Amino acid sequence: MSALLPDGFAALEPFVARWAVPGTAARAARRGESSAEEREAFYGVAKDKLLPALAYLDGKKLEAFDAADNRLMDMMLSLAHVALAVEGLGDDEPRHAEMRRHMQITRSPAGV
Amino acid sequence: MNNIASTAMPGFSPVPAESVAWLGTAPVPAAPYYSPAYYELEREAVFRRSWLQLGHVSELPEPGSFIRREVEVLKASVLLVCGRDGQIRAFHNVCTHRGTQLVEAEAGRAGNFSCPYHRWSFSTDGRLLSAPDFESFGLTKEECALPAIALEICGGLIFVNFAPKISLREEMGPFADWLEKFPCAQATQFSEYVYEINGNWKLTYDNFQENYHLRFIHPRTGGAAVSDENPFGYPVKYGFHGPHRTQTIWSNPNVKPTPLQAISFGKGAQFAMADGLAGPHARDYLALFPNFFVIGTPAQSFSHTIWPLGPERSRGVIRLYWKGEDDCASRRFAREYALASARDIHAEDRAVIEAGQRGLSSGALKYVHFQVQEALCRHLFNNVNERVEAYKAELAGGAA
Ligand code: FES
Ligand SMILES: [Fe+2]
Repeated sequence: MSALLPDGFAALEPFVARWAVPGTAARAARRGESSAEEREAFYGVAKDKLLPALAYLDGKKLEAFDAADNRLMDMMLSLAHVALAVEGLGDDEPRHAEMRRHMQITRSPAGV
Repeated sequence: MNNIASTAMPGFSPVPAESVAWLGTAPVPAAPYYSPAYYELEREAVFRRSWLQLGHVSELPEPGSFIRREVEVLKASVLLVCGRDGQIRAFHNVCTHRGTQLVEAEAGRAGNFSCPYHRWSFSTDGRLLSAPDFESFGLTKEECALPAIALEICGGLIFVNFAPKISLREEMGPFADWLEKFPCAQATQFSEYVYEINGNWKLTYDNFQENYHLRFIHPRTGGAAVSDENPFGYPVKYGFHGPHRTQTIWSNPNVKPTPLQAISFGKGAQFAMADGLAGPHARDYLALFPNFFVIGTPAQSFSHTIWPLGPERSRGVIRLYWKGEDDCASRRFAREYALASARDIHAEDRAVIEAGQRGLSSGALKYVHFQVQEALCRHLFNNVNERVEAYKAELAGGAA
């Protein structure tokens, strides 16, 4: 039984609790407080699921998403943040997280 | 053979010194970047008399929509309202009875505005509608309308001016029609992030109008901006009109995006193309005096306004403009990524600007230096200083 995420995305289930975060600012904050191990583990599995997930989700209207779809969407949005750390900043991420704290996200089409 | 075309690298040559020599080359005094006295002069000479970007039309979508904006540098609270006639107006958020701040909410929809103190009530176009026991004042309602502030809209952006000498469009000249072609002109919503900084507003602003720092401050986030042929990622050209200025950002032909960057910006570019947002403005940066600039890059078009909060303190407001709702997961993803990646870069800027302010505020330097490729910083200083000097002369004249 795989009720947490839509069919085909079971590999992401271990990451739901940590990364299916609603709200752009909350996702940015989760990235900021995460460990390098957590980010790399999530990125390692999720990066290859991004295009399939978007292809699947693009088949529906956002308003028609069920709870599992919403979790998958929120995880992919978390991946956007995490990828900036893993692909871009590498070991500079902890120092960078401190600088980013000052940049308060106040508006996002995905909800703050 | 296509070989030649595919391997040819467009050469890059920086803007030559002669073309910006008219701005001067002398060192620039350091005190204006921290002095409280200079800041006091700027408040009147620059901010009271300039067109200030306060919002976007998408924030006032229907009659009755309003937003309240605090303009700390002028100690002003401004009410932007869409009237029943669909017209957007600006008023001082000040009840004309005895000055009480009329609206407390940051934004909303209202049929009219009622003062909490003695219940004077104003229409969305600023008229006094009713006041309890009004006969006892011996006034007419006409003389009690909300104090209006001059307002103009250009490129979907709302500008106000507390003491206008010239219309915004006239002051912008050719830049006005040009701004109408930027993505913000068509935007229906935006993402936003805000920061406060221990930095003078000019020092803060200057960081965003020179590329000299890119390779040092953004070594990992800003790699796309520099290459062997243009190691500092200098712009292709500068342009000036009155106190306003532009630059055309250099396109690096050798960008190697990270995997998710490629996916996200690829999707963003597709959407921008489909939405009719791609265009000749794509590499353009437009700075409107004193504290606003906007970048036209379709997949990540953003504006940045820097509000002075004191001689050594400012607030930056960054907005990324979007046309249409998030109609699908891919669009939502591309917008989230665009926001997060821009914020990463700006976080790096903020940190180094504060370090600059600490040095300047120590008073150790009499002068700072701008090189040829910091011409836009010099242009800002020249325009501020001209106005401050003129204002000082005005004050001296008045006192004589
Ligand atoms: S101050 Fe507003 S009604 Fe008196
Ligand atoms: Fe920068």
